[in-house]
Amino acid sequence: MRIGVFICHCGSNIAGTVDCAGVAAQAARFPDVAYSTDIMYACAEPGQDAIIEAIREHGLTGVVVASCTPRMHEPTFRRAVERAGLNRYMFEMANIREHVSWIGKDMDANTNKAAELVRMAVAKLRLNRELTPKSFPVTKRVLVIGGGVAGIQAALDAADAGLEVVLVEKEPSIGGKMAKLDKTFPTVDCSSCILGPRMVDVAQHPKITLYAAAEVESVSGYVGNFSVRIRKKATCVDWDKCTGCGLCTEKCPSRKSYDRFNEGVGPTTAIIIPFPQAIPKKASIEREFCRQFTRGKCGVCAKVCPTGAIDYDMQDSFVEVEVGGIVAATGYDLMDWTVYEEYGGGRYPDVITSLQYERLLSASGPTGGHVRRPSDGAEPRDVVFIQCVGSRDPSVGRPYCSGFCCMYTAKQAILTKDHIPDSQSYVFYMDIRSPGKGYDEFTRRVQEEYQAQYIRGRVSRIYPSRGKLVVCGADTLMGTQVEVAADLVVLAVGGEAAHGAPQLAEKLRISYDQYGFFMEGHPKLKPVETNTAGVFLAGSCQGLKDIPSSVAQGSAAAAKVIGLLSRDMLESDPQIAQVTVSRCIGCGKCIEVCPFKAIQEIDLRGQPRAEVIETVCQGCGVCNATCPQGAIQLSHFTDNQILAEVEALCRF
Amino acid sequence: MAIEQELQAAVKAALPELDCIIGWGPGPDALRDAPLFLRDAADADVLRAGFFSVNNPALFLPEYKGRKIGVLVKGCDARSVGQLLLEGLVRREDLFVIGFPCSGVIDAGKAAALIADRCEAGELRSVREQGDSIVLEGPDGAFSLAKKDVRADKCERCLFPNAMDADLFVGEKRAPFAELDEYADLAAFEQAPLEERMAFWEKEMSRCIRCYACRDACPLCVCRDQCVAVARDPHWLSQADGIRDKLFFQIIHASHLAGRCTGCGECERACPMGIPVLLLKRALSRRVETLFAYRAGIDMQGRPPLLTFSLEEPRIKERDW
Ligand SMILES: Cc1cc2nc3c(=O)[nH]c(=O)nc-3n(C[C@H](O)[C@H](O)[C@H](O)COP(=O)(O)OP(=O)(O)OC[C@H]3O[C@@H](n4cnc5c(N)ncnc54)[C@H](O)[C@@H]3O)c2cc1C
Ligand code: SF4
Ligand code: SF4
Ligand code: SF4
Ligand code: SF4
Repeated sequence: MRIGVFICHCGSNIAGTVDCAGVAAQAARFPDVAYSTDIMYACAEPGQDAIIEAIREHGLTGVVVASCTPRMHEPTFRRAVERAGLNRYMFEMANIREHVSWIGKDMDANTNKAAELVRMAVAKLRLNRELTPKSFPVTKRVLVIGGGVAGIQAALDAADAGLEVVLVEKEPSIGGKMAKLDKTFPTVDCSSCILGPRMVDVAQHPKITLYAAAEVESVSGYVGNFSVRIRKKATCVDWDKCTGCGLCTEKCPSRKSYDRFNEGVGPTTAIIIPFPQAIPKKASIEREFCRQFTRGKCGVCAKVCPTGAIDYDMQDSFVEVEVGGIVAATGYDLMDWTVYEEYGGGRYPDVITSLQYERLLSASGPTGGHVRRPSDGAEPRDVVFIQCVGSRDPSVGRPYCSGFCCMYTAKQAILTKDHIPDSQSYVFYMDIRSPGKGYDEFTRRVQEEYQAQYIRGRVSRIYPSRGKLVVCGADTLMGTQVEVAADLVVLAVGGEAAHGAPQLAEKLRISYDQYGFFMEGHPKLKPVETNTAGVFLAGSCQGLKDIPSSVAQGSAAAAKVIGLLSRDMLESDPQIAQVTVSRCIGCGKCIEVCPFKAIQEIDLRGQPRAEVIETVCQGCGVCNATCPQGAIQLSHFTDNQILAEVEALCRF
Repeated sequence: MAIEQELQAAVKAALPELDCIIGWGPGPDALRDAPLFLRDAADADVLRAGFFSVNNPALFLPEYKGRKIGVLVKGCDARSVGQLLLEGLVRREDLFVIGFPCSGVIDAGKAAALIADRCEAGELRSVREQGDSIVLEGPDGAFSLAKKDVRADKCERCLFPNAMDADLFVGEKRAPFAELDEYADLAAFEQAPLEERMAFWEKEMSRCIRCYACRDACPLCVCRDQCVAVARDPHWLSQADGIRDKLFFQIIHASHLAGRCTGCGECERACPMGIPVLLLKRALSRRVETLFAYRAGIDMQGRPPLLTFSLEEPRIKERDW
C-alpha cells in the first residue's frame, strides 16, 4: 500500500500549538507511508487539489488527513480522494484540532499526540478495504409529527411539491400554540385569521393525510424507507360519522372538565371540540371527565348525536405507514412555574401564565375577549407582567432565554391598553431582547405610545392584600425598591421542550439536549437536519423560536425532504455489519441485541447461522461487541482495524 | 447409599426414552468421580452421585443439541443448564433433568493436603460418605474427615443447592448452608488499592501455562474451536509469552461470561496451576447483579442483560425520566 499523509495547519488553529511539519516528518517513517507533507488548509480548494495531485503523482492508494473533526470534513475529503480515482473508504482522518490543538498548549506534547493519532490512522488505513454502497428505492411520502405552525408549513410545502404527507398531531386539532394566541407581534394581527386558512388548507389538501389525536408509536427502518406505527387514540367518537355539529358539547352534563385548549381558564365539557376553527372539527371525549366512564352511566351525548357517532367502547387503533423522510415539529410547552414560591407557587388565582392571558384576550376565548380576572371576574386596572419566569434562571435548571417572551409581553401590554383604555401595565424585565425586523420599534412603542411602565429588576415577592396583589421588586436602574398593587399578574413563563420529546427522540433515534430540545446536525450549517439521515426538524422543538422563524424552519425542513425524496434511489452506507459464516456458531446473540432488527437467522446445511440485512443495518456495532466469536464484524471498523489502532498507540 | 440407588433406578426407567444420560461414575482416584455417559441401562449400577460428583455435566449438553439427553444435576449444574436454555444453546424438550439434594462437593485439593502425611490420593482404596463426614480407606486403615473441612468454597456460598426446574427430583430438598453474603470475600478483596490488585493478578497470571483448561471446563464457553484465544482473524491475542496476553485472555473470558457465569467454579477447579480465575468472573457477576438485578441461570423468564438491547435500564439512570 502507498499511503499519503497530509497534516493540516487549519491556519493557526492547529499550527499554533502543533509542529505540523514535524508531525509530517515523523509520519513519513510510518509503515507504508509513501508521501507525507503539511498543508495550510486541507479542506480549501488548493488543499484538496494538492491531495489529488499527490495521489496521481506518487501513485498513492490510501490517504490520511490529520485536521479537524470528521463530523464536518470527512465527506469533503472522501469526495476528494474519489475524484482522484480512489475508493472513498481508502481514506482516514485523524482529528488533531478538537482532540489536540484546541485542548492543550504544550507544543511538544501536542506534536507528540498528533503524531500518535496519525500513526493510528495509518495503522487502520493499512487494513481498510474498498467498499461500495448499494442503492435502494425510496418511498416518496413524508411524515410530519406535530401540527403546530411549523409542522403545518412543512406539510403544506411538501404536499405542494407533490409529496404525499402524513401529519400526526397528538391533540384533537392541529394549530399548536399559535391557535391559542389572540394577536401576534409585531404587527398585532389576528392569530387565528392568519393561521385558520392554513389549517383549512391542510384539511383540504389531496396529498395530506391528517391523523389528529394520534401519536407515533414506533419507527423502524432507515432513510428512504421508514415504517411508522401510529396510535390513533380512542376519542370515543367515530370521526367518519361526526359532522362537528357540536350538539353533544351543548348537552354534556359534565361541565367541570379541565379545558386544555383554554389553558384551564374556565371549565369545559367532557366531550369537546377544542375551538370553533378546529381542524378536524370533530368531537372527542375526555374519559377522565366523562360520566359514562367516571360514574358508569350517562349516555347523553350518544342520545343527542344525530349521526350516532358516539362509541364508548372505542379502543386505540393503529395504522402503519411507510415514509421516506420524517419532519419532527413537536414544538414546546410552558415550564411548570409553580416552583416559584415568590410568585405564590400557584396559590393565587390572579397570578396567571402568559398563555392563559392570551385566552383571556381572545375574542373566541372563554370570556369572549373581555379581560376578567379569575378570582372575582372583575376587570383589572393595574396589570403587572413579570418576564423571564423560568428563563435565564439556572436555579431552576433553565439557563436559556426563551426568545419570544420579551416580544409577546410587549404585545400583551399593548392589547391590555386596547381592551381596557384606562388600565396601566407594569413590566418587570431583566433585559429587553428584541432583535428582528420591526421588533425593537415594537418594544419602544409599547412604552412610548401605550405608557407601559418598564421596570428593570426582579420580583422578590407577591402577596395578597385587600383584594389586590402586592408585587414587591427592585428597580435596579433607580436603585430603589418598588411595590405595585396589581389586580392581575401575568407571568411570562418560559418554554421547554414539548412533553414526551425525549421519548419521541429515542423512537426517531435522534439526539436531544439536556432540556429535551432536538439536536440539529450542525448548529450553523445543518440547522434543520439531524444526525439521523432522513429525519429533519422544524420549529421550536429544536429550540424556542417565534412564529416567523418557526415557519421559515418548517419550509426549510420541507425543502430538505423534497430534495431527499426527489431521488428515486438512495445509496446505502456500506459501513455495516457482516457475518463470517465459517466462524458463526448460530448462537443468535446478535439477533437478540440488534436494536434495528437487522439480523436474521438463516439455515446453512441444517445449521442456524446469522445474516445481516444490509439495508436495515445501521452499523451501530452492538452485534459486533456481543458476538463471542468475532464472527460478526463491522466493515470499516473490524476488530483487526481497531486492534491495529490500539497496537499503534500502545507499542511496547 | 439410598439416594444413589434411587437415582440408578430412575435412570434405568428413563433411559429407554433417551439417547444418553450424563451423570458420574468412578474417576481417576477415590476422591474424584468422573463424568459418565450411560447408553445402556445395564451399566446403571456404576452410576454415582454425591459428594465426589464434582464435574459439571452441563458442559457436554450443547454438543448434544438436537438429541434426547438425560442429565443428573446438582444445584450449580442446574443453573448452568438453565443459562444454556435461556440462551437457546440447548432445548428444553430435548432434556430430561434429574435433580437430587446436593450437600456440597469435595475440593480434592483440600482433601489431598489434609491426608498428605498419611498417603496420596491415588493410594486410597475407597472413600464413602457417612453423614457429615467422609470415611477414607487408606493403606494403613480407615480414617474419616469432616465434610466441612474438605468442601469446595463455592458450596459454602451456594444459595441454590437444589436443582430448579428438574423433571424428576430424587430425595429431600435441603436448605443452603448459610444465608451469607455471597460476595463478602470479593468485597474484602476489592478493598485493596488498584495497584495491589493488579500486582496480585500479575503474580497469579505469571503461572498460567495457557492450556485453556479453564475455558474448556466452562459449560458456558460455547465458541469451542472458534475461541478468540486461538483465532488469528480477528487477532485479539498474540502468542507472545507474557503476562499481558494471559491476563487479557482471562479478562476476555470474564467479560464473555458477564451475566452468564453461574459461578459453578469449574474453570478454577480445572486450572492445573491453581490460579483463582473464578474471582474475576464473580467480580463481574456481582456488578451484573447490582446493575441489572440479574443472576444467571435462575429465572427462566429472565433475559440475560448483556444479550438484549433496551434503551433504558431501570437501575442505570442516564436520564431523569
Ligand atoms: C404567550 C405566548 C405568546 C406568543 N405570542 C407570539 C406572537 O405574538 N408572535 C410570534 O411570532 N410568536 C409568539 N409566540 C411563540 C409561538 O407560540 C411559537 O413560535 C410557535 O407556536 C411555535 O410553533 P411550533 O409549531 O414550533 O410549536 P407548537 O405551536 O408548540 O406546535 C407543536 C404541535 O405539536 C404537537 N405535538 C407535540 N408533541 C407531539 C407528539 N409527540 N406527537 C404529535 N404531536 C405532538 C402539539 O400538540 C402542537 O400542536 C408566543 C408564545 C407564547 C407562550
Ligand atoms: S453472535 Fe456471532 S456466533 Fe452468534 S449467531 Fe451472531 S454472528 Fe453467529
Ligand atoms: S451493526 Fe449489528 S447490531 Fe448494529 S444495526 Fe447492524 S446488524 Fe444490528
Ligand atoms: S486453566 Fe489455568 S493455566 Fe490454563 S489457561 Fe486457564 S488460567 Fe491459564
Ligand atoms: S466461568 Fe467458571 S464459574 Fe463461570 S460458568 Fe464458566 S466454568 Fe463456571
